Amino acid sequence: MIAFEHVGKRYGGRFEALANIDFQVERGEMLFLTGHSGAGKSSLLRLIMRLERPSRGRVLVAGHDINRLHHSQVPFYRRQIGVVFQDHQLLFDRSIYHNVALPLEIQGVEPREAARRVRAALDKVGLLHREKALPIELSGGEQQRVGIARAVVNKPSLLLADEPTGNLDPQLSADIMTLFEDFNRIGTTVMIASHDLALIARLRHRVLQLREGRLVADQEAA
Amino acid sequence: MSGSAQPAPRRGARSHQTRTSSRLRSWLRHHRAMCFDSARRLLRHPLGSLLTMLAIAIALVLPAALWLVLDSARLLDAELDESATLTAYLEAGVDEAQAMRINEALGAHPEVNATRLITAAEGMAEFQESLGLADALGRLEDNPLPASVVVSPRETRPEAVRALAGDLEGVSGVDEVRLDLAWIERLAQLAELGRRVALALAILFGLGVLLIVGNTIRLAVESRRQEIQVVTLIGATHAFVRRPFLYSGAWYGLGGGLLAWALLSLGGQWLAAPVTALAESYGAHFSLPRLDAAGSATLLFSSTLLGLLGAWIAVSRHLAEMRPE
Ligand SMILES: Nc1ncnc2c1ncn2[C@@H]1O[C@H](COP(=O)(O)OP(=O)(O)OP(=O)(O)O)[C@@H](O)[C@H]1O
Ligand SMILES: [Mg+2]
Repeated sequence: MIAFEHVGKRYGGRFEALANIDFQVERGEMLFLTGHSGAGKSSLLRLIMRLERPSRGRVLVAGHDINRLHHSQVPFYRRQIGVVFQDHQLLFDRSIYHNVALPLEIQGVEPREAARRVRAALDKVGLLHREKALPIELSGGEQQRVGIARAVVNKPSLLLADEPTGNLDPQLSADIMTLFEDFNRIGTTVMIASHDLALIARLRHRVLQLREGRLVADQEAA
Repeated sequence: MSGSAQPAPRRGARSHQTRTSSRLRSWLRHHRAMCFDSARRLLRHPLGSLLTMLAIAIALVLPAALWLVLDSARLLDAELDESATLTAYLEAGVDEAQAMRINEALGAHPEVNATRLITAAEGMAEFQESLGLADALGRLEDNPLPASVVVSPRETRPEAVRALAGDLEGVSGVDEVRLDLAWIERLAQLAELGRRVALALAILFGLGVLLIVGNTIRLAVESRRQEIQVVTLIGATHAFVRRPFLYSGAWYGLGGGLLAWALLSLGGQWLAAPVTALAESYGAHFSLPRLDAAGSATLLFSSTLLGLLGAWIAVSRHLAEMRPE
């Protein structure tokens, strides 16, 4: 599903955020990406989303070198990936409902069908009763869950999550991880960046560990 | 990437058809939504929107007015063309029968449209009448005026007329061909000058409209920067991002065009009375030109198009800046 081949990423020509990253992820796998703050977790995910381009090496997704995608194809590529952003990326002038509906609106899903899927996604993250609220009226954790609902509303084949439990209490974190596992069970490939080591250890999935932009460990699932 | 990319066997053609029509429907749905949404956004700041439209209108009024004036000058031009004639004076000894033959000979020239013979007697009568000197000249024994042929050429371009004059002068029995080209040339130059000024102004002010709309849309884009970023992150195409702004630009353009149209009609009405009175005092019949249906449509169409284009440029620049290197 995902293959990094000797990938390096420099910002501004000098600073090396990632160096010689090499790994593969099979279709239907679930894995964690961990490392200290600034290790390059977000950068790695941004490369997969093609928000950044590698300075060297190749990033292959479903067998395609995504660096070779024409920029007009990029939107259609991104629609197949559900992303939970570290900083939520919600629209603050739209209700929770409309935030979650956004990917469907972009793809032109019929409003009635969209409503059904939005409610289902909100229900999964336990926010169905807040659908009319604005993001500003929600707590940090609730906003994060809106971001998760938006990422899964489209039933993507690849789900990337950057610190999805950063603002959640342990119980909610566990619930969200269960949600991701449910998605993984129906065939979605799931990759989660996190430094919640306790949670990661408990879940026994494969773990990629980054340190200063290098891949220092690749522990297979226990 | 996933199973969704695999074609459904058997139902292939049918499902392809329904998918295409549903895509068209959703495309139309988004267009309609953005059309209304952008109008609502404009109405949310009525004063600001009105000021932008007024600025566009002012930029449009000047070239449009000039164009109107030139258009009416072209009508005047056409009338003058018909009166662009040459006069061939015949030699003194030519009698009436010879004059008629020469008249026919001149009429046979391929560049000549029509001829009219003025015999010596007719010439004298016209002359006397025009000067009111019937008595004084009536006493002259001999008619000193030669017969003449008034020739209207097919081509009224100064060079063509001059060439024709040379030709006609070579016809035997023709003494001299007179033509007054100076004023035709001057008029042609004036018209050309007017056209060039109008074109330059239209380009300049059209650019002005682009700048006005472009700047307004640039600010709108700036204020919705985060929204653009988010929708791009989750797979919006450039067309999707552009659409609401293009509608805003088109609304600004259309509004500006309508205001310009109103200003032109108001200005026309305000000036109509004095212009007509002035023309009448010169014994001429001239009324201010008005925008007809086609002219109005052209004005509104081009202002809307300029608004659209200005918005396109503004959004595209923003999108180009966003793309990762
Ligand atoms: N756009 C950018 N321009 C320049 N440097 C950047 C940019 N994005 C990230 N970096 C740098 O790259 C390094 C890796 O950043 P990244 O965001 O990938 O870390 P991270 O592992 O996600 O950290 P955190 O856990 O704090 O989110 C950091 O040192 C950061 O300063
Ligand atoms: Mg990060």
